[in-house]
Amino acid sequence: MTWLWLKESQKADEYLREIQELGQLTQAVQQCIEAAGHEHQPDMQKSLLRVGLEGRAGQGWELSLLLSGSSQAASFGKCFLDRFPPDSFVCMCQDLRVLNAVRDYHIGIPLTYSQYKQLTIQVLLDRLVLRRLYPLAIQICEYLRLPEVQGVSRILAHWACYKVQQKDVSDEDVARAINQKLGDTPGVSYSDIAARAYGCGRTELAIKLLEYEPRSGEQVPLLLKMKRSKLALSKAIESGDTDLVFTVLLHLKNELNRGDFFMTLRNQPMALSLYRQFCKHQELETLKDLYNQDDNHQELGSFHIRASYATEERIEGRVAALQTAADAFYKAKNEFAAKATEDQMRLLRLQRRLEDELGGQFLDLSLHDTVTTLILGGHNKRAEQLARDFRIPDKRLWWLKLTALADLEDWEELEKFSKSKKSPIGYLPFVEICMKQHNKYEAKKYASRVGPEQKVKALLLVGDVAQAADVAIEHRNEAELSLVLSHCTGATDGATADKIQRARAQAQKK
Amino acid sequence: MAFPHRPDAPELPDFSMLKRLARDQLIYLLEQLPGKKDLFIEADLMSPLDRIANVSILKQHEVDKLYKVENKPALSSSEQLCFLVRPRIKNMRYIANLVNADKLAGRTRKYKVIFSPQKFYACEMVLEEEGIYGDVSCDEWAFSLLPLDVDLLSMELPEFFRDYFLEGDQRWINTVAQALHLLSTLYGSFPNCYGIGRCAKMSYELWRKLEEEEDGETKGRRPEIGHIFLLDRDMDFVTALCSQVVYEGLVDDTFRIKCGSVDFGPEVTSSDKSLKVLLNAEDKVFNEIRNEHFSNVFGFLSQKARNLQAQYDRRRGMDIKQMKNFVSQELKGLKQEHRLLSLHIGACESIMKKKTKQDFQELIKTEHALLEGFNIRESTSYIEEHIDRQVSPIESLRLMCLLSITENAELPSLQSYGPEHLLTFSNLRRAGLLTEQAPGDTLTAVESKVSKLVTDKAAGKITDAFSSLAKRSNFRAISKKLNLIPRVDGEYDLKVPRDMAYVFSGAYVPLSCRIIEQVLERRSWQGLDEVVRLLNCSEFAFTDMTKDDRASSESLRLILVVFLGGCTFSEISALRFLGREKGYRFIFLTTAVTNSARLMEAMSEVKA
Repeated sequence: MTWLWLKESQKADEYLREIQELGQLTQAVQQCIEAAGHEHQPDMQKSLLRVGLEGRAGQGWELSLLLSGSSQAASFGKCFLDRFPPDSFVCMCQDLRVLNAVRDYHIGIPLTYSQYKQLTIQVLLDRLVLRRLYPLAIQICEYLRLPEVQGVSRILAHWACYKVQQKDVSDEDVARAINQKLGDTPGVSYSDIAARAYGCGRTELAIKLLEYEPRSGEQVPLLLKMKRSKLALSKAIESGDTDLVFTVLLHLKNELNRGDFFMTLRNQPMALSLYRQFCKHQELETLKDLYNQDDNHQELGSFHIRASYATEERIEGRVAALQTAADAFYKAKNEFAAKATEDQMRLLRLQRRLEDELGGQFLDLSLHDTVTTLILGGHNKRAEQLARDFRIPDKRLWWLKLTALADLEDWEELEKFSKSKKSPIGYLPFVEICMKQHNKYEAKKYASRVGPEQKVKALLLVGDVAQAADVAIEHRNEAELSLVLSHCTGATDGATADKIQRARAQAQKK
Repeated sequence: MAFPHRPDAPELPDFSMLKRLARDQLIYLLEQLPGKKDLFIEADLMSPLDRIANVSILKQHEVDKLYKVENKPALSSSEQLCFLVRPRIKNMRYIANLVNADKLAGRTRKYKVIFSPQKFYACEMVLEEEGIYGDVSCDEWAFSLLPLDVDLLSMELPEFFRDYFLEGDQRWINTVAQALHLLSTLYGSFPNCYGIGRCAKMSYELWRKLEEEEDGETKGRRPEIGHIFLLDRDMDFVTALCSQVVYEGLVDDTFRIKCGSVDFGPEVTSSDKSLKVLLNAEDKVFNEIRNEHFSNVFGFLSQKARNLQAQYDRRRGMDIKQMKNFVSQELKGLKQEHRLLSLHIGACESIMKKKTKQDFQELIKTEHALLEGFNIRESTSYIEEHIDRQVSPIESLRLMCLLSITENAELPSLQSYGPEHLLTFSNLRRAGLLTEQAPGDTLTAVESKVSKLVTDKAAGKITDAFSSLAKRSNFRAISKKLNLIPRVDGEYDLKVPRDMAYVFSGAYVPLSCRIIEQVLERRSWQGLDEVVRLLNCSEFAFTDMTKDDRASSESLRLILVVFLGGCTFSEISALRFLGREKGYRFIFLTTAVTNSARLMEAMSEVKA
């Protein structure tokens, strides 16, 4: 029938209608399409397909385009068959085009349709790649619209891997050529290509290629393998991935001698602080060496200070650690810290002696607490001596004694102390602390000695509202007046309140 | 009194999804170890875990006994041990000791370590060094975002602050980037990004890289949140150092809110037991007072109590049917409200007892003077007295830092607190909480000069020394530039606040919040060059707008603020206020909720 139809015989039409009436048109079309697949001659393929198409008019123009790209006119007959699915037709056209392309004598892969189907397109592509027919493979991928990762990217990657083996081309040219072709094609791993280049002994090229790798995580392992550890380190740092940095660091630690390793760290502050953190928990000695290497005396000092209370147990060891720390601080020209450290050494020794002589717990107390403990224990002389030795500022000492004596409720000693000389902190704190211990009687003693500025406050504290009012009126101080007024409660203070109001009124008149 | 949101305020996205995700993943991980097992939990993870999965869920997945990871040997008899820990070397040693002890005893068990939120190579290496890498299996529980409230997400990583800002350790940045990536996967990409600070920039770049690597998926989503703002804590230490006076902040300062809940002791509950209370928007009473200045809270609560009483009283004169209705429908709610009300009143009383003493007034006065930069001499002597009295080292340190940053001055007080604070000082300086006027030599010169004054028993002169030293600091200039100290004629009305300064009694607008406000207004850093320069951040301020037409106008009024290194409740309250004023809504993401005491503790060296 095909033949008849091709001859444009009138019979054809009749046969066609006959087939249609038998209800076998679908089958006939299908057979035509399949027959085309098994045909080797492009002309014959076209004819068969065109017949098949007869059943599916309206789309016939695709045929010529699909099959060869030539614009050979195809006659469009009437539509005899509605709703014949176009897929099988289109697929066949595509397959045939691929097959015809590889059957070309330039390529020379005479596959039959069945072989091709058995082989699958992936394998065919692989074969093309093996034959280095990259352009054709890429064209096929593009033509079949294969996903980039399976198709074009993969072939480009293969091409690039082949390209790096061309020893006669310079590194720069190869790298540039590869980057031009590949660009940012998704799914292409520059690190794989670089690994291939490295495999061929072209380390420099590999490094150049890695420059194009966007994922630092991929760059670093290869760089390490190529023994470009320092480059790997800076790449890892660039990535911001601390784990990656750490991997490189440990690699470097084993690869380099200690000195070189430290020098490398020194130039990479981020890696340095990461490593320091690790050392702080795991390798304290290394940490010390690190500071030593850098002549970082300040940190060395801090290190020994920490050791003095964290790692050393015996008092001798602790003092020795502090001594080392003080020396380091001097070297760091931090006299302040050095002096403080020396003070601490003196204090430790002294605390030890106190424990021996007086018993009790003194070690590890701060200076302040040591003095307090002495006072609480009734060793006032010793406390005084200590305060003098360590030059505790007067104010602080007064506060300290005041608090300690009040805690002891040693009111007698407190009074003696208050009279020892003029208080540098005033007498209001005395009032406050007595009231805190609910000793109004003692508090009143000091209230009278409070300076004029704080007198009102003191009087209010001991609950002497009336006198507070008098003082406030005397001062003609508005703020104080309102303060007293706010303390006037209940009937008892009624008179006082009136007094204040009167004084206020008077002040306003003036 | 409590400010309602404007009617056009955008809806918040639903963050409970994050909880579900975390729970499902944890269950999956637990199921990977089929059969009965004992679970060892790191102390820091207990509260967050509690918010995700309670004990009964753990039991459902065959967790037999729960242990705390601590420095004691564990007496577990289970054949399978599972450890849920932060990636810390200390924990690795703990596990190693346990496994090695088993080995010595000839015992074989199954061990599984779950790292949260991620594992670090250093940890695996320690396991390897200890010779047990082959004996344990490692997994990650990528639980990095805990919704503490409808608008507050916390990473619960308080160590972020010390690790990054003191030790220069950048490992958590990756965790931050992962968290942001998760958010953009779930809630769409953010069309507008702003940031300031070195850490902000690094996190942002790392996050972008993650997005690029995994392109395609997120792009299809409509953005739910229009803006993201990343901010380093060290841009603004001042705000975090101030005493908080907004209710939620004050509760945090006084009782310490931990992972969204607080332990109210017997003095609050007025019983002999302490009570753990969740503080979030679901607590109706708390929700109304959390952002209020403390001076308003008590009045509000008593008003509320009266209303409540009135509602109770309605039941008199009801007939049977009404009564039935009342009991079945309203009574439970009223009872609940009653309970909450009495708790918060108790808390208020307890706070008042502690705070309304003269000391607190003086303290606040001093802080305000420091912020405004007047009466420096008085403030300095106040701080000196504070030290002399040995009230609390942490408090003293805080005030010194505040003085130092606002005035560029420094005040040593080492001998009084013990030698480890020598290290604390060097820490504070390194982190920038104590400022240096010029690097190195000048500083030590200043120190020795000051210390000499102290030892010469001429403490009074110290203030003179300072006023001669007090070079106008950057904070002063920034404060002027951004108008952080509002000028008020007469009394600042704390009941009807006009600006964000209300969170500090009208004395100071939080710097961090002001920056955010300014940038959002301009939609970029343009015109803020001078401020950025003063913050020493010229290289690290960035704006990135991707034109996204699909962003609805509603989403453009939602702003995610990311605080790297922690944020305080005062800042949260201030921004909530700003949101109400401008019709925005803020969502907060912080590495942890912080306050001044936490900052100081993070910097302190303590004897372990």
